Amino acid sequence: MALKEIYTEYQRPILGLASVAGLLLAWELVLTYLIPVNPFFFTKPSLIATAFREQVLGGRLSHDLIISSRAFLWGFSCAIAVGIPVGVLMGWRRRAEYTLDPFLTALYASPLIALAPLIIVVFGVGLVAKSVLVFLLAVFPFIFNAFAGVRSTDRLLINVVRSFGGKERDLYFKVILPSTLPYLIAGSRIALGRGLVGVIVGEFFAASEGIGFAIARFGDTYQLPEMFAGISVLMIIAVVVTEGMRKLEAVLAPWRVGQEAR
Amino acid sequence: MRDRNLSLRVQSCPRKSGACNFSKTCYLRDMTPYIQAQNVALTFRPKNRDPVTALQGLDLEVGKGEFLSLVGPSGCGKSTFLNVLLGLLKPDGGDIRLDGKKITGPGQERAMVFQEFGLLPWRTVLANVELGLELKGVPASMRHQRSSELIKLVGLNGFEHHYPHELSGGMKQRVGLARALATDPDVLLMDEPFAALDAQTRDLMQLELLQIWDRAKKTVLFVTHSIEEAAYLSDRVIVLTARPGRTKSVIKINLPRPRDYEMRLTADFNDIKATIWNTLKEELIARTGYGA
Repeated sequence: MALKEIYTEYQRPILGLASVAGLLLAWELVLTYLIPVNPFFFTKPSLIATAFREQVLGGRLSHDLIISSRAFLWGFSCAIAVGIPVGVLMGWRRRAEYTLDPFLTALYASPLIALAPLIIVVFGVGLVAKSVLVFLLAVFPFIFNAFAGVRSTDRLLINVVRSFGGKERDLYFKVILPSTLPYLIAGSRIALGRGLVGVIVGEFFAASEGIGFAIARFGDTYQLPEMFAGISVLMIIAVVVTEGMRKLEAVLAPWRVGQEAR
Repeated sequence: MRDRNLSLRVQSCPRKSGACNFSKTCYLRDMTPYIQAQNVALTFRPKNRDPVTALQGLDLEVGKGEFLSLVGPSGCGKSTFLNVLLGLLKPDGGDIRLDGKKITGPGQERAMVFQEFGLLPWRTVLANVELGLELKGVPASMRHQRSSELIKLVGLNGFEHHYPHELSGGMKQRVGLARALATDPDVLLMDEPFAALDAQTRDLMQLELLQIWDRAKKTVLFVTHSIEEAAYLSDRVIVLTARPGRTKSVIKINLPRPRDYEMRLTADFNDIKATIWNTLKEELIARTGYGA
C-alpha cells in the first residue's frame, strides 16, 4: 500500500528513470552477451562510464566545459537581450513587423549553421566566433516567441489597464510582458537546443579546446568510449537545463500551474 | 465631500422628502444632470469591411447617484456607448460631459466592471484589486489597506492570495467589482457584468450590488440584456433602438428601495417588465424582421 502511494506520488521520475536505466541495461547486455562488439566501431555503457570517470578525474572535462559554456553564455545572453525587445516591438508595432519580417523569416527558415565557416573566417578561431554562432541560432526563437506572445495578448486586459489611466509603459510592463512570459520560456527551450548546436558545431570547425572539439577529436581517433562520454555530458546538461526551465516557469509564472488539460 | 453632496441634493429635490419614494436616489435631486450625452455618434470602420454605425444621435442624461440601466437589441451599441463614456473610444460626433467637463479619455472618476471580468491572470486577487491604485501612484501600504477593505466588502476575505483561475465566475466578478471600487470613482460603468454567471450567483450578485451601491453612493450605468435585471436594479431604464443606437424611451421604475428578491414576484414588477418588453419588442422586430 505504502509502495503504491510512493509510486503515485513520484510516477513521473520513477517511470522516466526506469526507461533510461532499462535502455542502458539492454544496450550493455546485448553488446556483452548477444553481439560481441568490435570496440573499434562501437562501445557500451560500462566502457563509457570508465572513460567518463577518467575524464572527470583528469580535469580535462571541466576545462572543456568551461571553455564551451563561456561561448554559450555570451551568445545566449545576447540572444535574450536582443531577441526579446525586437520580438516585443514587432508584436506591438505593425511597422516594425512589416519591415523586419522578410529578413527574420528567411534567416529562421534557412540552416544558419551553413554560415559557420564564414563566421570563423570573419571572427577567427575562438570565443567570439562561437558566441556569434550561438547568438545567431538562439536569437530567433526569442524573437518569434516574443512576437507570438505579444500578438496573443488579450485586448481586454490592455483596455482594462488603459481604463485605469495606464500609459504605454504600463501596458508593456503590466500586461504585454507578463502575458508573453510563458512564450518566452517555451522559446528559451528551443533556443537552448539551437545554441548548443552552435557551440558544438563551432568547435567542430575550428577550435583547440572545448567539449565539441573533444568529441570531434575522440571521433577522429576512434576513441569511442571517450567520445560517448562527451556526448553524454551534453545530454545531461541539456536535460538538467530543460528541467531547470520547467522549475523556473513554475516560479516565474505560478498562475499557469494547474492549468494543464490532463 | 460625499455628505456635502448628499445634503446639496436633498435641498435641490423638488419634492418634499415625505412624498419622494426615492429616499436616497432620486435623480431629480440634482437639477443639472451629472452625465450628459448629446447627439453622440460613432461609426466603426474596420479594414476591408463595410463601416458599421454603432451610435447615432444618442442623447442621455444621468443624475448623480442614479442607477440607470441601458437595454436594447444586441448590437445596438450599448457596450460601445459605455466604452465611449469610459474614454476608451472616441465618438465621431456629439458631446459627452461629466459634471460639466467634456470626457476626452479615461479618468479616475469613472471605472468599469467588464463582462468578461478582465482580471490579470498573473496577479493575485489582492494585486488585481490594487491595479487602479497602483496606476494612480498610491503608495504600497495604502494600496494594501484599501484593497483589503474592498475584498472584505465583496466577501472575498481569505482569497487575497489566490489567482483568478482558482476562482469561480461569481468570485471573479466580485474581484472585478472590488477593483472598480478601489479607486473610489463617482461613476461605475457596468457592461453586462453578470451575464457570464449562473442564475443563482447572478441573483446573489444583484442583491450585493444594490447593497454596495446604497452604501457607496455611486452613479451606476448598467448595460444588460435582461429586462428583469434592469427593472430590479434601476431607478430608470433606457431602451435603445436597434443599431444605430438612439434613446427610444425612458422608463422610470417606481419601486421602493431597498429592494429585495420578493419584490420581483409582485404584480407591479411584472407590469414594469411588460412596459419595458413592449418597448423593446418593436426594436427586436425591426432588427430581426420576425413577428412583423
